[in-house]
Amino acid sequence: MIEEPPEKTVEALLALSGKNRARLDRLHEVLTSPGHFGKGATAAEVVYRENKLRLLRLLDTEGRPGTGAPVLFVPAPVSRYFIIDLMPGRSFAGHVLAAGFDVYVADFGEPAREDRFCDLPYYVDGLLRRSVHTIRLRRDGLPVAIVGYCLGGTLSLLYSALYPESVSRLALLTTMVDGDYEGGISWIAHRMGLAGESYDDPRLVPAVEVKSWFEMLSPGSNSVLGRVNDLWNRLDESPERLRDVRTMASWVDDVVPAPGRLLAELYRQFGPGRNELMTGRTRVGLKPVTLADISMPVLSVSAEKDTIAPADAVDAISLVVPQAEVLRLPGGHVGIVAGRAASTLWRRTVEFLGASVGSPHAE
Amino acid sequence: MTDEKAETEPTLVDKWIKEQQEWQKTATAYFDSLVKNDDFLVNLGNAMRGSLLAGKPYPGSKPQEQAGATESPIPDDRIDEILHALHRIQGEIADLRMTVAELAARLPASATKPTPPDGSRGGA
Repeated sequence: MIEEPPEKTVEALLALSGKNRARLDRLHEVLTSPGHFGKGATAAEVVYRENKLRLLRLLDTEGRPGTGAPVLFVPAPVSRYFIIDLMPGRSFAGHVLAAGFDVYVADFGEPAREDRFCDLPYYVDGLLRRSVHTIRLRRDGLPVAIVGYCLGGTLSLLYSALYPESVSRLALLTTMVDGDYEGGISWIAHRMGLAGESYDDPRLVPAVEVKSWFEMLSPGSNSVLGRVNDLWNRLDESPERLRDVRTMASWVDDVVPAPGRLLAELYRQFGPGRNELMTGRTRVGLKPVTLADISMPVLSVSAEKDTIAPADAVDAISLVVPQAEVLRLPGGHVGIVAGRAASTLWRRTVEFLGASVGSPHAE
Repeated sequence: MTDEKAETEPTLVDKWIKEQQEWQKTATAYFDSLVKNDDFLVNLGNAMRGSLLAGKPYPGSKPQEQAGATESPIPDDRIDEILHALHRIQGEIADLRMTVAELAARLPASATKPTPPDGSRGGA
């Protein structure tokens, strides 16, 4: 065994010390610089409130709303809305606003105990319908383009079938249509006991339980040791990149409780073995829904590496809404919306929304 | 030449001292933030758990301890059902208001002019 000269050993130790110190300095910079802590990055005014819902109208840097065609973003009610307005330079909704559209975002807020009774009609024929109505009242009755994300896409799809005249265009992002597909959040939730969720005596499903379904899709993702190790290894990256990663992780962590009645209904109608969306016929409460009534142009976007809403289960929309344009992008469920490569989706969505009015900025 | 190099390049001891000073700066920065920035410890803890947000109350909502303080010690399903029914009524009232606003917007401008308090139409 050849021994290193002591000087070399000390030099190596000093280099290691410097490297680890630099990591801690970087972490300090990330933790003390302005970051995103759970509110949208873009200025907004609340134009409608109902129960926990806040309908936000985004404002530009001068405090003015867009003057173009109205666009409503509908995120999933089981997570925070700000994934579509994550941080400056990383805001999907902000990008659409900058393209000239009049952008609205539905923030469903955090359900409380009494909201465990909220069901599909409450969301689709209640909150969503009145949000669209509010926008149309402000915009001389113009139909509204809807961009639905994940479960928000499912709500948007049902709404668009019920009230097609009020929707100019429909963009669905990582929205599962084929509930029989093995894998993905609905299948996991089914396996984890969602089948037993009571419609008549619902509970407020705790956030930690909802989160456990997502974690089942990537085992080990919630291990504290794994996370600390991951954080430590990532500290060699730039503070900007670290801030991005932490902000995304914050959103993933920050699941909200879910109304048991809504989940029971989703399972009963669209879950494995039921799969009503794939039949083209379902219902919202007592109202029959026929997907063939969706007459407006539809864009459905799936993500190649999506474990929550597998791409094949998303792309299946072309079987029940034949005019739907299906687009599969590289990336994961969250990454295509707010990750570093999200600009592809943003650009494509703006093109799609712009096509509804002849020009991206015109009404 | 060798002597010049030896003069400009710090010795191992110098490097070690410099590194210790840098560590002191890092430690001071952390302690400073811990003292001056209320959120820092929370952010640090959350970062260790993979999140910068966990543990922070959602904007517009009450912090957990506050929310817990106002909650009834024995949750009553009937209260929840009443609250939920009220939320539904809130939605129905909003529907009515929107319909009225829609109808008002369709009226010709003359029809929305306020009637004089004495009830006369004026101009006769």
